[in-house]
Amino acid sequence: MNAPFAGKHGETAFARLCEELRPDLFRFAFWLARDRHVAEDVVQEAMLRAWRSRESLDDSSSVKAWLLTIVRREHARLYERKRHETVPVDDLVNDESPELAVSERREVLDMRRAIFALEPDYREPLVMQVLMGFTTDEIARELGLTQGAVLTRLFRARQQLRRAMGATGTAGEEDA
Amino acid sequence: MNCLEFRRAAGAEPMRPGVEAERHAADCAPCAAHLAELRAMDDTILAALRVDVPVPAAARPVAARTAVAALADRRRWYAFAASIAGGVILGSLLWTSGTRAALARDAVAHMQHEAASMVKTGIPADRGAVDDALARDGVRLRGDPGLVTYVMSCRFRGHTVPHLVVQTSGGPVTVLVLRDERIRRTTKFHEQGYAGSLVRSGPGGLAIIGATDAQVAEAAARVNAALEWVG
Repeated sequence: MNAPFAGKHGETAFARLCEELRPDLFRFAFWLARDRHVAEDVVQEAMLRAWRSRESLDDSSSVKAWLLTIVRREHARLYERKRHETVPVDDLVNDESPELAVSERREVLDMRRAIFALEPDYREPLVMQVLMGFTTDEIARELGLTQGAVLTRLFRARQQLRRAMGATGTAGEEDA
Repeated sequence: MNCLEFRRAAGAEPMRPGVEAERHAADCAPCAAHLAELRAMDDTILAALRVDVPVPAAARPVAARTAVAALADRRRWYAFAASIAGGVILGSLLWTSGTRAALARDAVAHMQHEAASMVKTGIPADRGAVDDALARDGVRLRGDPGLVTYVMSCRFRGHTVPHLVVQTSGGPVTVLVLRDERIRRTTKFHEQGYAGSLVRSGPGGLAIIGATDAQVAEAAARVNAALEWVG
């Protein structure tokens, strides 16, 4: 069996890959949890689990999807354990505001608020597609959905974001 | 493909709507404009999704980290680091020195090591000693934190921090002034029968531990308002 991350050379290669993917994995966890601290905890735990299991990977090209799965599971595990209380969206966004770069465009801040407000079923596939670069087929496999369901959720996510950003409805546009 | 079908395809995958959709857009100006709008929106979505990422801990020497590893949680992190040459590789992947839960546990453990300080008393600590301990950490009192009955400069997670005990209406509360812990948001915790709070303050924060949430809340409000972070 090919184990690309076995041994000392494998450790270095794995760590380098994790380092490259870490920012987007954090961002993915952040958008799942909508909480920076939870995201840190989730990714911290996920990295440890991934490290322990790295030699079980037999295909280096699947690391990204594999790590994403671990992050999702850690988030689910943490969420079940802690049962985070619901926080109003405005509080979530306002908490993040001191950390936003001064140069962030108003449009980007408004979009961030709109994404915060999306329900998880729409937000998660959107993040996987736009941020992580997954195809709809890959998203369907990861989320255990049909490709059609994923396409519908992505369409609805964008529809809601367009409305939130002030776009008027387009003639003939209907919910999928 | 008609316009409705096009908009559904484009709305789901604006960057890759498919060959049929691309062909439709080439012949339909309103749909082409809609696609362009969706693609521009996706650029904004991507920018919005790219929130700031915390920087992992600098690769501190394993020995230094191991020296402060007192609890199972931290040992778990650093056991992995120590098992790797130089301990740098895994350490570089981790955030700071652990999760907020680990900070809470460390704070309670530290308080328990100096449990004798947690007594109800009306005898104040020396004001000069309080000022000195805080000044060493770049903090001064500008208001009334309540009756401070204990002060010590203590080693905590690799740093020297002011350790105070403040009397509240319900009893004594421990306050650790943590310049070097990144506490971005105030959170409560309950650990080993104690109530606590990690309070966002200045560049770092405060760890506050007492017998009840009410005592912790009372101390948190007074102490945080009384501190001024300088430098």
